Order: sequence, then structure tokens, then C-alpha cells
Amino acid sequence: MKKLGAILRVPQALRIFYLSPRAPKIAGACLTLLLIAGLLPVDSQAAETGTRTFVDDLDRKVTLTHAPHRIISLAPSITEILFAIGIGERVVGVTQYCDYPPEAQAKPKVGYTHPNLEAIVALEPDLVLAPRELLRVDILGKLEQLQIPTYVLDATTVASILSHIQTLGRLLGASAAADDVVHRMQRRIEEIKARTSRLPRPRVLYVLNSAPLITVGPGSFIHEAIEMAGGSNVAARARVAYPRLSMEEVLSEDPELILFPTGRAEGIAEGEEELWQRWTTLSAIKLKRLRRVPNDLLNRPGPRIVQGLEMLARAIHPEAFEDRSAP
Amino acid sequence: MKTGSSHLTLDRWITTMVVLASVSVLVMIGCLRFGVQSIGFSDAGRILFRAISDWQAGVHAQGPAGAILLQVRLPRVVLGFLVGGGLAVVGVALQALLRNPLADPYILGISSGAALGAAVAILLGIGTTVLAISALPLFAFVGGLISLLVVYRIAATHGRFPVYILLLAGVILNSIFSALIMFIISIMGPNRSFGTMAWLMGTLTAPTFPAMAALAVYLITGGLVLLWQAKSLNLMALGEEAASSMGVEVHKVKKIVFFTSALLTGAVVSVSGMIGFVGMIIPHAVRMVIGADHRLLLPASALVGGTFLIAADTVARTVLAPGEIPVGVVTALAGGPFFIFLLMNRKSGLAE
Repeated sequence: MKKLGAILRVPQALRIFYLSPRAPKIAGACLTLLLIAGLLPVDSQAAETGTRTFVDDLDRKVTLTHAPHRIISLAPSITEILFAIGIGERVVGVTQYCDYPPEAQAKPKVGYTHPNLEAIVALEPDLVLAPRELLRVDILGKLEQLQIPTYVLDATTVASILSHIQTLGRLLGASAAADDVVHRMQRRIEEIKARTSRLPRPRVLYVLNSAPLITVGPGSFIHEAIEMAGGSNVAARARVAYPRLSMEEVLSEDPELILFPTGRAEGIAEGEEELWQRWTTLSAIKLKRLRRVPNDLLNRPGPRIVQGLEMLARAIHPEAFEDRSAP
Repeated sequence: MKTGSSHLTLDRWITTMVVLASVSVLVMIGCLRFGVQSIGFSDAGRILFRAISDWQAGVHAQGPAGAILLQVRLPRVVLGFLVGGGLAVVGVALQALLRNPLADPYILGISSGAALGAAVAILLGIGTTVLAISALPLFAFVGGLISLLVVYRIAATHGRFPVYILLLAGVILNSIFSALIMFIISIMGPNRSFGTMAWLMGTLTAPTFPAMAALAVYLITGGLVLLWQAKSLNLMALGEEAASSMGVEVHKVKKIVFFTSALLTGAVVSVSGMIGFVGMIIPHAVRMVIGADHRLLLPASALVGGTFLIAADTVARTVLAPGEIPVGVVTALAGGPFFIFLLMNRKSGLAE
């Protein structure tokens, strides 16, 4: 409780500080410090003891006075990254969808699309990690007002996941572990590409919702994953990331494989494949190639994306993986 | 406010209906031509011709064009016509019943009940097919029926079934159900809430042909019931007491129109979600042009509403091709300004 009081007093103290005539001078000094911090190799041990500034995916400056040890994650993917780079014990708050690894479920919950600000403040975090999508502007503004460092991550591509893992490694003083995770991910991605890149690319439809039909288009993460896994997304001509695709387009593009994401929180309903049996002219229906894929592995821009990629590649090119059993 | 029934002759009735029906058919054919995939009139004609003798041969004719025309576009055009016509007819009936120019099929709270039913179905993850009808419309229809009973119960306790109580009950129920829908969406996973929002925005995803035939019979029956009350509705426009003194059983008419409208709305919303503006604007537009006699206004609005929705849906499915936009967006953007235009040019039509 005492600490909570301290947090609430800080903003007022700073306001007086900013209004003081010395403010410009101090700001100048801070700027110099920032520049020095930016020039320093930030992942060295020496830098981690001092004040460091990072620029997040919203181009906001986030200043850390020490390596954070009370971290709140506002996305399942971020939670997975934190545990993968070995700093799970420093996580003090997660969303109600953070179910991997199982240890994450034991952490206090702070909400997801509507995070509870009081729960966040009560956990006294020294760093909040938030995904760009679903992050509400008012929550971000409030966190800034409360002087809680908030770093926003915008995962739009597989490459951005890899760089996020390394960024979080530097932010949290776990660079070695982060680099290790990234290298292992890169090796597996290369292997998947090697197995599938020379094969013909089957046409794939990924069904987020059947009525109305919503799928993934360019700009979405799953679109990229399908293409990386050696498939060809039938909605590649769509102009938005999650288009309501015309059934006419589906019939003329004629997918050879239809994927249905399944999962605890975000999956499609049981038996939704039945709705598709009436489209008898589709190759996927004739070939009976309708597959359910666990969407946690694909919807979450975290370390398990490589498992998702391999699962997609196995669904798209079962012949390329005949020599290896499923992981 | 509205003109009496003395101007309507059989000749005028037939002429108007024939003209409107011809326009409907032409628009339908035109809309079959346009889509994400371009199918020429000659190809379309060939496919339709083959399908008449052998449906499966038609579906497999001309590459994907056969399936697109017969399994996607044709059912969608038919559904659009049924939904648009249904909404417009209910709009006409409710504007007369409630003597309120702002009345539309959604005003009685039935649609929110249906939407709540759909949201619950999606929340529970029910998607299995029951008797060739997807569970979603079934849940929506049941939701609509429940709100119908609630509104009726509230209005009936006041003895004479007063229209202002009907209106108030509908408005209140709408807001309660909207709150529940928002609550359900807020506790859903992002993926499902996305699907629910898309459904709520209104969409014409055609059901199978048997389901559509059932819907057509249902809607046409309801429409005929309303038409049967057309003369009473004309007199009710003069006020309940005046109508009553001219021999109209006001109480009975109100109940018939209320139940029929509610049952029609429930069915329409359950297959199409919430498509706004058709049910409010089409009746006004048609009334301004052909007058307020319900014997002509009801069937004419059905044709115009159906045609309008088909055209709007064609825009919705082509403007962002290969993606689609919610048809409700098009109906509001096209219908709203058109209505303003009519209002500015034909002030007399409303003021009469």
C-alpha cells in the first residue's frame, strides 16, 4: 500500500519539476543522456544498470531506469515471448487468454481487450508490454499519465516477431537467451522453406468466419504464414487484412485446401465445415481436404509461430514431411 | 395526413404493379450479370438454360461460372428481394399502425431480440445444421419471438393495446437487448466478436434453396395478411376513433398487424441480420410517388424494397471486389441522400 501511494504521488512531483525554471536545462541534460544511451551498446551489462531509452513501434520513447522486474504483458504472444527468453518469474500480470506456458495461467489477470487499469496499477509494474492492435488509446494515455513505462509492440510479419524477441531481450537484460530463441526459430523456418519452396503451391482458403465469410488477406499475419508454408492464399487479391471475401471469388479461385482455425477462445464453431459441403464444385470439397488447425499457434505472434508454420506446411504439403513424424 | 382510398382504380393498380414488376425483373437480370467474376449475358443465359433441364449440369457448366451464377448470385438475388420486400412491407404496416413516420421494422424491439438470439448462438459456438437450417437463424428467430411476447405482454396490460405503449416497450426492449449484445461481444474472443459484428451489420448469405422456399412462402403469407388489412389501415390513418366509428375493429386490426409485422421481422432479421433504412425509407419514397392507399402501397413497396436491396447488394459485393462491404452501409448511404432529395422536391407528398 505504501508503494501504491508513492506511485500516485510521483506525477504531481514531476509536474512541479517540469514547471520549475530549471526545467529547460534539465531537459537538455536529459536529452544528452538519451543520446548517449542511444549510442551505447544497450545490451551490455554496464548499460543495463543505468537509464536507457527505447523507441517502441508507435515511435514513442520509453525510458527505463533499471532492468524491469515487475512486468505486465497485455497479450498472450508477449507472455509467451517473456517465458521463452527465461524471465517468466518477472511477469506479475497477464491477460485472461495467456494460457501458455501453463505457468502463465497462475499469474494475476488484468483483462485483455478491456484491461482493468486499477488491476494494472495495483500490481505496481515497472514495465507494461502492450500489443498495438487492441490497445486502447485511453488506456495508453492513462498509463503514460501514471508514469508507468509502456512499450507497444506491433507484430505484423514473422520478421517483426523475431525482432520483437530480440528487442525484449535487450529491454529486459536477457539478450543471450533471446538471441538463442531467435536463432532456433530461424533454423526451423529455413528448414520448412527448404522442404516446401520447390513444390507446387496449393491454393488455400483460411476461414475465420463462415457466414459471412471472413478470411485473411495481405497485411495479415496468417496470410504471410500461408505463403511462407508453401501455400497460395486465395484471398491474395483482397485489399484489407481481414476481408469479407466474396463467395464468387472463392468459387473462381477454387481452393484445394480449406483451413478452419480451432481454439479455446478464438476458434470457429464445431461442425462449421458442414456448411461448406454444399459447394460441390470446389476442389477442396471434392478432394475432402478440409483441415482444422489449432489457431493459438498462428494467431499469436510469439515464439510458437514456427510450430504454427510447420503445422501449416504439413497441412499444405503432407508429402514433404513423410519422413518426419509430427513434433 | 394521408390521402383516402377514393383515387385508386383497378386500372391504376394493375398499371403500377406491372411497371414495378417489370423494373424488378430487369434489375434482377442486370444484377445477375454483375459480380466479382464477370459473366457475360450469353454465358449466363447458357448456364440458366442448362440448369432448367438439369440443375447439376448447370452448376458444373462453364468452369466456375456455373457454380457462381447458380449457387452464389441467384440465391443471393432472390434472398435480397425477399428481405428487401419484407422489410418494406413491414415498414409500411408499422408506419400506419403506429401513426409514426419514423417507424421501421426494428422499432418494436423484435430485431434486437433476434440479434441477441444470434449473438447467444455464436457465443455458445453453435454452428451445426439442424434440418437444413443453420442454427443461427433458428436462434435469431426464437430471440425475436421472445421479444415479441414481452412487447405484447407490456402493451396488453394496458387493456386497449395503445400504440404509444407499443412504441415505448419496443424502444426500451431495444436498448436492453443492445446492452446484452454488447456484453456478449465484450466477453467473446476477438475472432468470434468479429464474426458477430459482421452478422449484426447485415449480410445476405443465401441459405439453401429449400430453406429459401420456406422463407418465401412464409413472407408472402405474411404480406397477404397485411394486404388483407389494407383497407382498415387506410381508415386507421384518420385516427383510431374515426376508424372505429366507420366500423373498423381497431383493437383486432392492431393485434393482427402487430403480430404479423413482428413475425415477419423476426424471420427477415434471422436470415439477414440488421439491414437498416430499407424498412423506413422505401415506404416513404413509394408513398410520395403513388399515394397513401395501402391496397397499392403495400405490394408496390414490396417490389420497390426488394429491387432496391438487390441493387444495393450488387454494389456491396462489387465495389471492394474481391472483398465485400456490409450491405447495410450501402442501403444507408444510397437511401439516406435519396430520401432527402425526395423530401426537398416533394414536400407536398408528406404534408398532404
